[in-house]
Amino acid sequence: MLSNTGNFLLILSILFTSFIIYQSFACLKKTNDMIFKSIYKISLLQSTTILICFFTLVGAFMVSDFSLINVYQNSHTLKPIFYKISGTWGNHEGSLLLWVIILTIFSFLFLITNKNHPKNYRINTLIIQNILILGFLFFILFNSNPFSSISPIPKEGLGLNPILQDPALAIHPPLLYVGFVGSSIYFSAAMASVITNYSGKFFAQSIKSWVIISWSFQTLGILVGSIWAYYELGWGGFWFWDPVENASLLPWFAMTALLHSLLVLEKRNILYFWSIILCLLTFTLSVTGTFLVRSGILNSVHTFANDPSRGIYILLFLSLMIFASVYILFTKYKPTNDQINSNSKETFILINNWFMMFYLITVLLGTLYPIFTDAISNNKISVGPPFYNSVIIPVVIIFLFFMAIGPKVRWIKNKFLNFKDLLKIIVGAIAVNFIITYFFKSYSLISNLIIISSVFLIISTISDAIKKPKINFARIISHFSFGFLIFFIGLNHNFSIEKDFNLKLGETKKIDNYNFELKDLKLQQYDNYKAVIGKIQINDLSTNKKRTLNPEIRIYDNPQTLTYEASIKTNFFRDYYLTMSNIDRSDYYNIKFQEKPLMIWIWISVVMLSFGGFLSFIRNAKNN
Amino acid sequence: MKIKIFLTIFFISFNLNLGSNEPINESKIHKNLRCLVCQGQSIADSNSDFAITLKMVVKDLMKDGKSEDEIYDFLSEKYGDWILYNPKLNTGNLLLWGLPYLVLVFGGVIIVFLIRKQSKKT
Repeated sequence: MLSNTGNFLLILSILFTSFIIYQSFACLKKTNDMIFKSIYKISLLQSTTILICFFTLVGAFMVSDFSLINVYQNSHTLKPIFYKISGTWGNHEGSLLLWVIILTIFSFLFLITNKNHPKNYRINTLIIQNILILGFLFFILFNSNPFSSISPIPKEGLGLNPILQDPALAIHPPLLYVGFVGSSIYFSAAMASVITNYSGKFFAQSIKSWVIISWSFQTLGILVGSIWAYYELGWGGFWFWDPVENASLLPWFAMTALLHSLLVLEKRNILYFWSIILCLLTFTLSVTGTFLVRSGILNSVHTFANDPSRGIYILLFLSLMIFASVYILFTKYKPTNDQINSNSKETFILINNWFMMFYLITVLLGTLYPIFTDAISNNKISVGPPFYNSVIIPVVIIFLFFMAIGPKVRWIKNKFLNFKDLLKIIVGAIAVNFIITYFFKSYSLISNLIIISSVFLIISTISDAIKKPKINFARIISHFSFGFLIFFIGLNHNFSIEKDFNLKLGETKKIDNYNFELKDLKLQQYDNYKAVIGKIQINDLSTNKKRTLNPEIRIYDNPQTLTYEASIKTNFFRDYYLTMSNIDRSDYYNIKFQEKPLMIWIWISVVMLSFGGFLSFIRNAKNN
Repeated sequence: MKIKIFLTIFFISFNLNLGSNEPINESKIHKNLRCLVCQGQSIADSNSDFAITLKMVVKDLMKDGKSEDEIYDFLSEKYGDWILYNPKLNTGNLLLWGLPYLVLVFGGVIIVFLIRKQSKKT
């Protein structure tokens, strides 16, 4: 029954979408500046239909309606209700439905919030956005239909992958989707802007809020994914440069560049075509990321079940998108006369864009290169963390200095730079670094420079805030927390301690300053898994403080999987991170212990970073 | 003047504090080796039989006095370059290592060009 309802709603959405496109073309022919009332109404209906369609699927998951293949493959009656619901978007088909929801809701919101912009621009945006929606709806209906039914109806589902049964992972896709699917609306707006010749300052104003809000959500989404990887994957790191992580980072770089170039476009009416390219690039990268992840081309921690036909469809869609946008850009391109003074804010924003493009190309190249070498020379290579770290980190140092100075510089032409102040700040930064190395531990040259440059950014941003009380606080918070982020990543990297050893029940081992004792092992039965819970006491010999950590080995029933749950003790100074795993044919357990200083501050920095974005969104909404 | 003295002192102290050359670090090598039977994990993070065996191999090679690079060479010959997370700098990977910096230089040239154009006019 739900299968029919779902399919009906999908077809209804396709009809509404087609009707919007049809009506929009009719509306374009009219010379007056009014948008048909019917377009508003159908848009609202379209959003509502697709939402109901999505909730139908959620409902199917909640009642475990195994007549749907999708529910059968990704759910199980014994799963907690929360994970039944999150299972809806924990798979390829359901997550595509979430895609379309964001495409349609953003389409509707853009239509109703941009009333002071010209009709043709708004209608063209609507048309392009709805072509995207149509593309995805067809994809869902014919290739990745979550409402496909199965007969005979199975009694029990196959269950959701246990490592996906986690609160952070449950909320992470919706956040990320608002981010990178949200970028579709400025893709459409950019195309419309070029087509209707609605350029410059006003165009910047119309998309600014959308860029900011998608950027903020993207930042949060990346954060939640990273936190999940930290405690769920059990290796104690928060970023592995995994292709899926990279896929979320690529649009983020483009968005960050766009966010800054729009400021120039808004203030100075220059860099128009560059901003357009960034708009197109952001969404193109979002789709590319989805393509790479879903088609199974890339080897990654969390690819969904692979199906080549999906890849081909998305690739086709992607090529069409790129081709259309490049074509429109070339036919409408007009060389502009951008006047930029070397000592001006514009230059520094260009520098921001320059570095963002560098990061983007590096990460893109690192992600795609293995595919190329495999295809061309049959030589499969890996591009992992050492590559990214050694290429990107040295450049980040220079970037942080520019990031600190840029906001101090004025628009159009700056009179002078206060070198004395800068010198004071850099001396301060070196002093902080010196204190850290003197009292704690010395580290490599590059780490020294990272700490100095990040502290430079932090101090310099704070001093900006103190000097000018009426300053843009969104910017202050974002720049400050970015400095914070790099600072804490640097410290965390240099002061982390890792121990890897084997223990058996009752045994005590002394390593450096710690005594580890495996005191107890108990077996516990839960609803959908059983767990071996270890009780490991860590005695810090320098302070004589005892801590108990309880790592788990979980055996999930549906599907049968073994997972290792890390036990983490967090405080403001450090995380204690411990995983335990069984060793075959032995009564020893492998223990991986990590002490990760200031871990929580890395998360806090990113939360503040995105908070800066939300603040900027509110500020921008007030101004317009 | 004060600042200059201050600065010199700090630079000296800062130079003295540079980390010493680290000896071969076993866990660093582990992190650079892909666990071939796992999904996107290094052998440092895995407890699979493959990872355990490979760790023992690394230990033996280190005992034989092999350097870090020699260990990588040995393993990549045996298992292919897929095992190394840090791609080698060779002709096949020239583009990978070179293009990012090329982009960096190219971007810089564009910005300088944009600014120059302006200063010529005024």
